[in-house]
Amino acid sequence: MRKYLQLAKLTFQEYFVYRLNFYLWRFRSLVFFLTLIFFWLAIYGDRLDLFGYQKAQMLTYVVGIAFLRTIVLGSRSADLAMQVRSGQLTKFLLQPIRVIKFWFTRDVVDKLINLFFVVLEIALILWLLNFSLYLPQSLTTYFSFVVLSLMAIFLYFFISFFLSVVAFWTEEIWATRWLFGIIFLEFLAGAYFPLDVLPSWLTKIIYLTPFPYLVFFPMKLWLEQLTTHQTAQAFLICFIWLIFFWWLSGFLWKKGVRNYQAYGG
Amino acid sequence: MEVIEVSHLRKNFSVFQKEPGLVGSFKSIFFRRYKQVKAVRDISFSIKEGELVGFIGPNGAGKTTTLKCLSGLLYPDGGSVSVLGFQPWQRQPEFQKQFSLVMGQKNQLWWDLPPLETFLLNKEIYDVPQDQFNKTLNELVKLLEVEDILKVQTRKLSLGQRMKCELIAALLHSPKVLFLDEPTIGLDVVMQKKIRDFIKEYNQKFKSTIILTSHYMGDVKELCKRVMIIDKGQLVFDGELAKVVKRYGQNKVISVVLAKEIGKEKLESIDGLREYLYPQATFLVKREKTSQKTAEILEKLPIADLNVEEPPIEEIIRELFTHKNYR
Repeated sequence: MRKYLQLAKLTFQEYFVYRLNFYLWRFRSLVFFLTLIFFWLAIYGDRLDLFGYQKAQMLTYVVGIAFLRTIVLGSRSADLAMQVRSGQLTKFLLQPIRVIKFWFTRDVVDKLINLFFVVLEIALILWLLNFSLYLPQSLTTYFSFVVLSLMAIFLYFFISFFLSVVAFWTEEIWATRWLFGIIFLEFLAGAYFPLDVLPSWLTKIIYLTPFPYLVFFPMKLWLEQLTTHQTAQAFLICFIWLIFFWWLSGFLWKKGVRNYQAYGG
Repeated sequence: MEVIEVSHLRKNFSVFQKEPGLVGSFKSIFFRRYKQVKAVRDISFSIKEGELVGFIGPNGAGKTTTLKCLSGLLYPDGGSVSVLGFQPWQRQPEFQKQFSLVMGQKNQLWWDLPPLETFLLNKEIYDVPQDQFNKTLNELVKLLEVEDILKVQTRKLSLGQRMKCELIAALLHSPKVLFLDEPTIGLDVVMQKKIRDFIKEYNQKFKSTIILTSHYMGDVKELCKRVMIIDKGQLVFDGELAKVVKRYGQNKVISVVLAKEIGKEKLESIDGLREYLYPQATFLVKREKTSQKTAEILEKLPIADLNVEEPPIEEIIRELFTHKNYR
């Protein structure tokens, strides 16, 4: 355990080295966040209700996107693919350290640092634009939101790890990561807009994929727009995908390491 | 006790072949040709505890591939490998805690942080107790004279400084088995000497088993009693370095100092002239013809001084790799 703690410390220190890089990243996230807010404010105009969302609920959803993007979709494990490609992975395969835990540790640090900043940013924007968030009534909602978000964190981690592990075979990763990561994943996760504004036949299909459980369903929970039945179903599907990607990433990792050619040197 | 045992090791790679140019790239999207490269074909050897073995061969001979199989990076396609009683490719932590691989062209130090941070991380990764860590680190730092750079960002270090720190990072857990893949690559002669001395001392002090590959014969000459020569994935020689000279050194070098300057044609009339720069000239002659040639030279040329020597080991190896005349 202590090795991963030490690794976490090291990762923290690295962020202080790349300060500018980090600020620019935060700036990009902030701009994205503001764009979404102003977009929805413009669409609502004077209306209070649209697509089944009250204005406060929609703005809460957008704040939720900023928040969940940081703790769920934020990830460093994409770098694993680069390590496979460049042969950098070699050094970790020589040491008594689990590569999957290595990357999980680094992901957690990344999420913690970004979380700190995103909370500040959200507070700032709420204060500047002077609007209030929708807060759930029941305590169970907070609890299930936290649990589903945690599941989402793990689900995303395993998906991301899986995408990186593919590099053992493709030796080229940006295409898959870009296609999945940006287009499919973020769109289908509901990281741009709530998915239920889409036609219902389409949403039914999307709900069967793992993606909406990363952002959309945690937010629906928060907004208390799910029935007990829907909630249970969301947990179940998310759990099945979680187990599936956990297994798949582990399985492919073992196969991939055998395929690894330790380039360079 | 045998620490490393390798028997009939084989390792192939399939390499994707791309035709040059844009058209080639385009073709390769739809149609790819793979070529089987036999990096290691049937190698067997064993190494005892405390031995320091030199592993030499021309580029692409299979040295690094063999070392990678020994350290568990590569999964062998055939044969068996045992290091410290473990099968390396299973990568058990108990095994990994007892060996290290240092690659001169790869770094394990964290690029953006000072070397000390990597050392501290390795301490935790290898479960090195605090007092042992302090003791080993102090010793290594003193031996390699790097006190003042431990807290400097790795990327700001010179190659030599970095190499020393790489060695420290690899040795903090006092590995019993050490694979050094060109540890002196790109270093100046002073630094090469220091690293060599250090390796020698480490080997004697800790009775560790070391395999060293290097393109500098100097490294091997100074450090290793036993050498293994590998070419095209096959072991062609395994034995004492001195025997390489006996077995492959078919020639002797006769070097002379001339008493007065003469034309090159005159020298060339004697077979085997290798170099002439007045007043020095050297001849390379067959071992068994040495005395006959010496007599001929003394008779034909105005000689001030004459010496018969063994050719340098570098030359014997170069000859060997060029003509691939392994016997």
